[in-house]
Amino acid sequence: MTSSQQRPSRPGRGLTRRQLLMRAGALGAAGFSLPAFLAACGGDDGASDGESLLFENWTEYIDPTEDDLIGTADRFIAATGINFTYSEAYNSNNEYFAKIQPVLGRGEIIEPDIIAPTGWMAGRLINLGWCDTLPLDQIPNAANLEDSFKNPAWDPTGEYSLPWQGGFAGIAYNIDVTGREIRTIEEMFSPEFAGRLGMNSEMRDTIGLIAMSLGIEIGSLSTFEDAAPAFEFLERAKADGFIRRFHGNDYGDDLINGNFAATFGWSGDVAQYALENDAVRFVFPESGATSWADTMVMPKGARNRDAAAKWMNFVYDPEQAAQIAAWVQYVSPVKGVREELAKIDADLADNPLLFPDEATLARTQSFAYLSDEVEAQYDEAFSRITGA
Amino acid sequence: MAKAAAIAGSTDPPQSRERRPELIGVGSLLGTGILLTAIAARWVSGVVAIGALALVAGAIVTLVMVALTGSPDTKRKLAPYGLLKPGMLWLALFYLAPLVTLFRLSLSTLPSRFAVEAEFDFNFGNFTRAFTDFGPQFTRAFIYAGIATVLTILIGYPLAYVIAFRGGRYRTLLLGIVVIPFFTSFLIRAIAWRSLLADTGQVVQLVEAFKLSGLFETLGIMNNGRILNTPAAVIGGLTYNFLPFMVLPIYVSLEKVDPRLVDAAKDLYSTSISAFRKVVLPLSIPGVFAGTLLTFIPAAGDFVNALYLGSPGTTMIGNSIQDQFLVQNDLPLASAMSFVLMAMITVFVLIYSKFFGTEDLT
Amino acid sequence: MSAPISKRGRIARWALNLFAAAVLLYLFTPIIWIVAFSFNEPAGRFNIAWQRFTLDNWRDPFSNQGLTEAFVQSLRIAVLSTSVATVLGSMIAIALSRYSFKGSGPLNFLLVLPITTPEIVLGSSLAAMFLDWDINRGFATVLIAHIMFQVSFVALTVRARVRGFDWTLEHAAQDLGAKPLRTFWKVTFPLILPGILAAALLSFALSIDDFIITLFNAGSLSTFPIYIDGSFKVRFPPQINVLATTILLASVIVMVVGLLWGQRSRRQQS
Repeated sequence: MTSSQQRPSRPGRGLTRRQLLMRAGALGAAGFSLPAFLAACGGDDGASDGESLLFENWTEYIDPTEDDLIGTADRFIAATGINFTYSEAYNSNNEYFAKIQPVLGRGEIIEPDIIAPTGWMAGRLINLGWCDTLPLDQIPNAANLEDSFKNPAWDPTGEYSLPWQGGFAGIAYNIDVTGREIRTIEEMFSPEFAGRLGMNSEMRDTIGLIAMSLGIEIGSLSTFEDAAPAFEFLERAKADGFIRRFHGNDYGDDLINGNFAATFGWSGDVAQYALENDAVRFVFPESGATSWADTMVMPKGARNRDAAAKWMNFVYDPEQAAQIAAWVQYVSPVKGVREELAKIDADLADNPLLFPDEATLARTQSFAYLSDEVEAQYDEAFSRITGA
Repeated sequence: MAKAAAIAGSTDPPQSRERRPELIGVGSLLGTGILLTAIAARWVSGVVAIGALALVAGAIVTLVMVALTGSPDTKRKLAPYGLLKPGMLWLALFYLAPLVTLFRLSLSTLPSRFAVEAEFDFNFGNFTRAFTDFGPQFTRAFIYAGIATVLTILIGYPLAYVIAFRGGRYRTLLLGIVVIPFFTSFLIRAIAWRSLLADTGQVVQLVEAFKLSGLFETLGIMNNGRILNTPAAVIGGLTYNFLPFMVLPIYVSLEKVDPRLVDAAKDLYSTSISAFRKVVLPLSIPGVFAGTLLTFIPAAGDFVNALYLGSPGTTMIGNSIQDQFLVQNDLPLASAMSFVLMAMITVFVLIYSKFFGTEDLT
Repeated sequence: MSAPISKRGRIARWALNLFAAAVLLYLFTPIIWIVAFSFNEPAGRFNIAWQRFTLDNWRDPFSNQGLTEAFVQSLRIAVLSTSVATVLGSMIAIALSRYSFKGSGPLNFLLVLPITTPEIVLGSSLAAMFLDWDINRGFATVLIAHIMFQVSFVALTVRARVRGFDWTLEHAAQDLGAKPLRTFWKVTFPLILPGILAAALLSFALSIDDFIITLFNAGSLSTFPIYIDGSFKVRFPPQINVLATTILLASVIVMVVGLLWGQRSRRQQS
């Protein structure tokens, strides 16, 4: 990746297939789905005697079943017979935490068997003692974990979490609105885009990207003062009316329809948005991008450990993981995915956003793992700026 | 069944001098209400709570027993209390008790950042923070709600007037038309406005087609070519949302005005404007009063319009409460903010009632 | 209005009528958008840019599983909560309008309070209490919350409708020898039924559409508004427009039937 412009993956079988998927999804399966309605009316679907499993993940984070293509979740059901529910319950780490906190905090069990916090949040849950260790002995495929994903700060021993996907936060922009390429954070905050910038509500990405542009090493932040200039920058940007809206993973429509000139977006999302409007671009700022990973962890007391192990084992099979990667276009934590993906979509297998090379990785940093008190300071300062 | 039987009792003014049934009725209603509130809000706990619960059960049983065994006269007197009881106890348990809980939580402290249980320790710090950290949000909530209320009067009054005085036999139909849009989901309407007001949306296109951008910018409705995510969009959303709550009460009060009275006034005052000012307007004040309360109160506590149509610079106190409660998880602070909001609105209602007050609220 | 109208007056009249018409148009602007886009064939996952006309969405309103489940959940809650609230609220209304008794003043006040309290306070206080009780929020807590705001609403609506009711009819029936219970069901109930039905329908609509109070008390439960809020920026399928239009049509039909029925019974009375 020598060019600073990283355009989402272009032609190839994978793309046409994804376009097909999208169109099919928009049209809806043919035929009147009254049975689905009646089934929903019937209430709790008769609990089958077999195993069941509930995984609550972020939205648009897995290949769905559409027309003749069977999604990973359904392939898993077909392969194991487990009564598996895949639910898109995540919109933000803090919001999801607020939902489960009163339950787990009282020592009760939450419904899902697997949840998908981002690394730092997984660390919080582990420290609070709200996670069970994974039954790694039942997950032989865990050996396929990529080296770069091993021993993260939030789970040094790796016994509590397996990564779901990794990725990068950078500048996502709509070139129809900006009228030119955007390469740096400074260019993004130029006066002509006042009121047309989005800002990510994930503190580590927004503050991280800004801090890097100010020359701050975000991997070694340890006190609030270390990042204070970034908070001041954001505060000023808000006061000057630059920011249109803070968003979670809900920035697609604004970016596609040109309400946002630019924002801080996530690599895989933007690749998908670009399929709907090719004016949407993703770029690593010259000062560097942030990298992160979302995880699979099991909340304390999760009822279906065996089924959860089977699921994790399933998605750590390179062949299955390649199907997910082809659709979500994030960095897969599974070894061997690149080879599998090359069979489906050669271009994707060469995309540095999916398979970052040394040069790409050299331009990314991941946010330091903060101590509890310092994190509280960061969160409070950030939530004051987000203004709610 | 005793209750239903009792409903059908006579409405004669009470002849008997015996007041015991009424005492039992009032006593059991009040007593159970207060005790249930106390238990629910956890004023009392442990053995005392069990005792209180026993008292509640006792009071209900007594009421039923007396109603069953009493004379027809007793039954008649107890009937209203029996009828009221289930609904009123529901309100005591799920309206009053929560407010008491909210107040207690607003004076509590979370022992640690992720603690579940807040400890009650007369911590006024939450109220201090509510004012110091969220002053702008409170101010905005009241200013936006105030402007929206005035706009609903300006827009809604003429509409109500036309329907009431010129609707003829179509009045009910016209009223129905006013209400129909509000049978679609509130959120979908907000999303519709989001789309209509977007930078490439139909409204901005219209404004530009008629070369009105300059005018809109000077009026402050447009900001650098944008309408969405500006204060104007939030206020516009609030105005739209609560318009029927203004139109309907004004209509109800105008409907009662006898058109002949207006004609007489026209003869008397010569111009229709002064006839309107001297006759119609005063008679419709109760409607405007009720409409103002029905608009201003929910608008001041709203967060959906600011969320969907606003920006970080237009957040209202509702957004902050929602964020502190459902995202930041700071229950004591969120409780304090809720409580301050309610107190401010109550003060507003009291002052407002002093000036325009009527009995005809409901 | 028999007073002679000047030319200026006529212009003013027309201006006012025109203004009223414009306001009606304003009220319907987003509705037109919602209905129109239920016939759109979206290009991607966001049904917000007009592409071309299609009937596919209407042919397949339940193709989105999450949306369908949330919609059914909303219906279930609305049916249950409306049934309970209508009974409780009507009982209060009858007690308040039928009898004069000690303490009705403060009770009236208590009844108005939930309606004049901002929804966010209702929602957050109730959720705070459930948290305080260590109760996990979900279907039951949403149901309780809906009944809470509906009871007041039903009671006040029914009371307003039965205010002019002639209770001496009951006397007449009893003088003719009818038992009290029978009198109620045969005489009183049919006469106040329209008021109760109207209140029930309106509070049903309130329940289906409630977002703020529900959001605080739903936990991980998804209702129609909560689903829309959660999904609309990530994916806005046209089925949302279809279901919204359906609710709109159903309400209009109910309203028209109600109007016709009201007119008929009024004609019968006179």
